[in-house]
Amino acid sequence: MTTSTEPYVLNIGPQHPSTHGVFRLRVVMDGEKIKDLDMIVGYLHRSMEKLAEERTFTQNIPFTDRADYLAAMTGNLGLAIAVERLAGVEVPDRAEYLRVIFSELQRIASHAMANGTLISDAGAWQTPLLYMFREREKILDLFEMTCGARLTTNYMRIGGVAFDPPPEFWPALQELVDELPDRIDEYHELLVSNEVFLARTRGVGIISAEDAVNASLTGPALRGSGVPWDLRKTDPYSVYDRMDFDVVVGKSGDVYDRFMVRMSELYQSVKIIKQAMSQIPSGAHKTDIPLALRPDVGEIYSRIESPRGEIGFFLVSDGGPSPYRFHLRAPSLINLSLLNELGRDAALSDAIVTLGSLDIVVGEIDR
Amino acid sequence: MSGDIRPATPMSRQIAEHRSLLVRTLALPRPVLMIISLLFAGFIISQVLVGYLVISGELDGKWYDIRDLGNAMVSLDGVIRNSEMDSRISLALAYLVPTLLGATGIVSVVGGWLLIGPWVERRLIAKFQIRQGPNRTGPFGLLQTLADALKLMQKEIIIPRGADRFLYFAPPIAVFIPAILGWAPIPWSPKMSYADLDVGVLFVIAISSLGVLAVFMAGWASNNHYSLLGAMRTIAMMISYEIPISVSLLAVVLLTGSTKLSEIVLWQSEHGVWLIMIIPFAALAFLFASTAEINRTPNDIGEAESEIVAGFYTEYSGMKAGLFMGVELGNAILVGALMSTFFLGGYTLFGLEEWIPGYLILATKIGLVYFLFVWIRATLPRFRLDQLMGFAWKFLIPVSIALMFLTAIESSILIRWDVPNFLSMGLIAVVNIGAAVGLTLAWMRLLFRDADLSAPPPPVLTREMGGLQAAKALRG
Amino acid sequence: MDSPGIVIGFYMMAGLVLGSGTLVFLARNLLHALAFLVISFLSMAGLFLTLSADFIAMAQILIYAGSISVLMVFAVMLTPLASRDNGNTIYVLPGLLAAGGIATFVGFLALDTNWSGPASDFSTTIDLIGNLLLGKYVLAFEIASVLLLFALIGAIMLVQTSSADHEEGEG
Repeated sequence: MTTSTEPYVLNIGPQHPSTHGVFRLRVVMDGEKIKDLDMIVGYLHRSMEKLAEERTFTQNIPFTDRADYLAAMTGNLGLAIAVERLAGVEVPDRAEYLRVIFSELQRIASHAMANGTLISDAGAWQTPLLYMFREREKILDLFEMTCGARLTTNYMRIGGVAFDPPPEFWPALQELVDELPDRIDEYHELLVSNEVFLARTRGVGIISAEDAVNASLTGPALRGSGVPWDLRKTDPYSVYDRMDFDVVVGKSGDVYDRFMVRMSELYQSVKIIKQAMSQIPSGAHKTDIPLALRPDVGEIYSRIESPRGEIGFFLVSDGGPSPYRFHLRAPSLINLSLLNELGRDAALSDAIVTLGSLDIVVGEIDR
Repeated sequence: MSGDIRPATPMSRQIAEHRSLLVRTLALPRPVLMIISLLFAGFIISQVLVGYLVISGELDGKWYDIRDLGNAMVSLDGVIRNSEMDSRISLALAYLVPTLLGATGIVSVVGGWLLIGPWVERRLIAKFQIRQGPNRTGPFGLLQTLADALKLMQKEIIIPRGADRFLYFAPPIAVFIPAILGWAPIPWSPKMSYADLDVGVLFVIAISSLGVLAVFMAGWASNNHYSLLGAMRTIAMMISYEIPISVSLLAVVLLTGSTKLSEIVLWQSEHGVWLIMIIPFAALAFLFASTAEINRTPNDIGEAESEIVAGFYTEYSGMKAGLFMGVELGNAILVGALMSTFFLGGYTLFGLEEWIPGYLILATKIGLVYFLFVWIRATLPRFRLDQLMGFAWKFLIPVSIALMFLTAIESSILIRWDVPNFLSMGLIAVVNIGAAVGLTLAWMRLLFRDADLSAPPPPVLTREMGGLQAAKALRG
Repeated sequence: MDSPGIVIGFYMMAGLVLGSGTLVFLARNLLHALAFLVISFLSMAGLFLTLSADFIAMAQILIYAGSISVLMVFAVMLTPLASRDNGNTIYVLPGLLAAGGIATFVGFLALDTNWSGPASDFSTTIDLIGNLLLGKYVLAFEIASVLLLFALIGAIMLVQTSSADHEEGEG
C-alpha cells in the first residue's frame, strides 16, 4: 500500500525575512523536498539604465551606489574606470591608492555582511552577524568621515576621488587595520569548528568547477568551486598590480567553501590596505575634467572585481555628455542562474542556505 | 588610542567614553550611597538574627516560618476546620481556599514571568551580541514588554479566508494550558507543592504530550502552506522527542524509587547528591529533548524565521501570536523547574534549605537553567529537520535505553547494598559517566563508519590564475 | 457517601463526557469531531481522578489525548476527504440501530451489576498496578509488549517503499 502525495506550491517572498531584498522564489515542493524552483525578479526595478541616458557620466555615479548598495565603493569605481578608459583620462597616483584602500575596506564590510547573513539564515539569531558588524560599523564610520555617507558613498569621480580624507582618517584606519586580523581570528575560531554550522553547510549546495564556469559564475562563488579567477590578478586595474596578495580558492564548492573563501579574503584585504597605506604618495586626489565630459564616439566593456563577482559596465558613447547606452552587468543576477539546479531535490532549508551563500543583492539584479 | 587625538569616529568615541558599572555606581550621589550601604548592612544583620532563630529551632513549623509557605497554609487549614462553621461548609472551604490561593500563586508566578521574561531574554541575548537590549521604554527598558503587549492587543485580528473558526481560535488557549498545568506537582519547599501527585512523573510526561495537538490545530486551521509545513515539522519533532524525555525520567524513577516529585527531591537531599552527577547522560538527554519539546533553538525548525516566516503561527495576528510567543517563554521556565527538580536537587542545596527559603533556591536554579537556554539560543544555528529526527531516533533513544538498563541494574544493587553514600554514589557516578562516554563513542563510530568526519580542508592560497585548467591543476 | 466535591466533580465530568461525545457525531466537520473526541478523552481522565485512580487517569491523558489523537489527526490529514461534510451518508440508519443495540446491552449490564461495596483501602494505585503487572499478570504484560513490538516492526516495514526514499539523517 503506497501513499500518494501531491506537490504544492510555496511562495517565498517578496516580503520574507531571509530573501536578501525583495525577491520572490516560487517553489514547488513535495513534502520537504523541492521539485522545482522559479525565481521572479523585478520587484526593485528602478530603470536605472534608462535614466542614465539622461544624465552626464558624473551624475550617473550615484546610480551605481544604489545598484549594489552593499558595495557602493566598488560600484562607483567600476563606472569611473569605465569612463576613464573610454575618455582616456589619467588618474593621479594618490587617487589610485585611495581608490584601492576604499575598495578593500568596502570588500571587508560587504563580506562581513554576507557571511553574517548566511549564518543568520542558518538560524543563529544574528549573533555572528552582530559580531561582524562591529568592524563594519568602524568601516562605515571611516566612510562617513571621508565622504559624508555610510552606505551610498558616491566617492569615486572620473579622474580620481571626490575628497581627500581628513587628518583623523589615517590614525583611525591604522587602528582598525591593526586590530582586524585578531578580530577575524576570533570569528574564525567561533565558526569554523561549530558543529551545527558544519552540519548545515558542509556538502550542501555543491557547485562543481565545470558547472561554475559554464554558468559564468564569478567572485567568491566561483573561487569556492576551485577555479582561481580573480580580476584583481588576471585583469589588473588601478594599482592592484603593485600589491602583493594571494587569491583564495576553495576545494569542493559547497556552502562551507564559499563561506571560508569570503572569510580568508578578509585577511587578504587587510594585507592590501596595509601595503597601500605604506605606499601612498602625496599629491592631487583627482584630475580636472570638464563638467560635462564628452568622450569620443565608441563603446567599452570594462569590469572590476566587486565583493560579489565581476561587475561590468558596458558604455556606448555618441560623443555627447551622457551615455547612449549604459548597461551594468550584475554579478548577483548571473550567479543566481544556478539556483534552479542547486535547489532540485534539496530540502528547503538547504536551498535557503545556498541562496545565502551566493550572496545576492537585489538592487543590482533589478537595477 | 593615543590621548592627544580626539577619537574620530562615533563608535570609537562611544568606546572611549564608556565607564564600567563600578565607576558609575560609585559616582552616585552621597545620600544614595549611604542608603544603599545601610540597607546592605541591615540585610546582613537580619540574616544573622534569622540564623539564631533557625539554630534554636524555634522557627520550625510555625505559620510565620517563611522558609516554607506551606506552614502558613497548614495553619490556615487548621483555622478553617476548627472554626465555628457548619462542618460541610468548613470542609469545602478548607479545600477551596488553599486551592485558590495556590492557583493564584502559580498563575502569578507564570504571569509575572511573562511580564519580565521577554525583557530578561532580550537584554541577555543583546549582551551576547555586543549591544544593549531594550533600554528606552521606562527605566532600563523594563516597560518594553508592557508596550509590546499593548501593541499586540490593539492590533486588528485578521482571520485568513477559509480558516476554520473553531480550530483557529482554540490553539492559543490550548497551548497555554500545559504551560500552567505543568507547575502543579513541582515542590517549592517541603510542604509547598500545589498538587503533590503520587504519579507526578507521569503527569509531567502527559502534560508535555498535550501541546502537540494545539500545534497541529494552529497549523491546519490557518489554511496556509507555510503554517501546515511548520506544524508538521513541529509535531514530528515533538512526538519524537517525547521518548527520550520519558526514558530519562524513567532512569530517575528507577534510582529514586518513587514517582512523587517531592520524594525525588528528598532522595537527592538524603543521599547528598544531585542526580545530574550520577546519571549525567539522562540529564543532558532530558535537557536537549526538552528544547525540542518547547521549540527553542537549536530545535526551533518549526518556527524557523528565516525560512517559513513563523511556522505554525504565521497567520495569527495580535495577542494570539503574542500568546504563542509568551507560551514559548513560559514553557522554558517550566522546563527549567522540571530540570531543577529532577536533576539539580529541587529546593535543596545540601542542607542550605534550613537557612534560605527553599523556593528561593529553586528560583535560582530555574534562573540558571533558563540562562543556559538563552545562551544556547544566542549561540547556535538551528538543526535541519532530518538531522534532528535522525539524532532522536538513531542516537538518543537507543543510547538512553541502554543506559537506563544500566541504571536499573545499579538501582537494584543499591537497594540491597548498604554502604555509605559517598561510596555508592561515587561508584554509580563513575560507572555511569564511563558507560555514557564509552557507549556514545562506540555508537557514533558504528553509525558513521562510512562517513567523512575529517576537519574540512581550509581554502588554498594561490597566485596561479586561470580557468578550468588551472582549477584542475589546483585540485591535483 | 462521597463528599459533595466529588459528587459535583462527577456530574461535571460525566456531563462533559456525554456532551462532547454527542458533539463528536453531531459535528459536520471531521476535525471538529476530533477536537470534541479529545475533550471527551480528557473528561474521562477526570472521571478516573474522581475515583482516585491516578495512574489510569494519567495513562488516559498520555496515551489517548497525547498519542492516539495525534494518530487520528494524521489519518484524517492523509485521507483526501477531510473537512468535507460527513453528515450525509447512507449508513445513518444502520449506525443508529447498531448503536441502540449496544447501548441497550451495556445498559442492562450496568443495571444488573451490584455496584455497592467499597473499594479496598489503598494509598496509591501505581504501586498496586505495578506489582500486579509484574507479579500476577506478567504473562499478559509480556504478550502485550511483544504485540506492540510486532506492530512497530510492521509499521516500519510498511513505510519502506524503496531504498530511494530512505533518508540519511545526521549531518
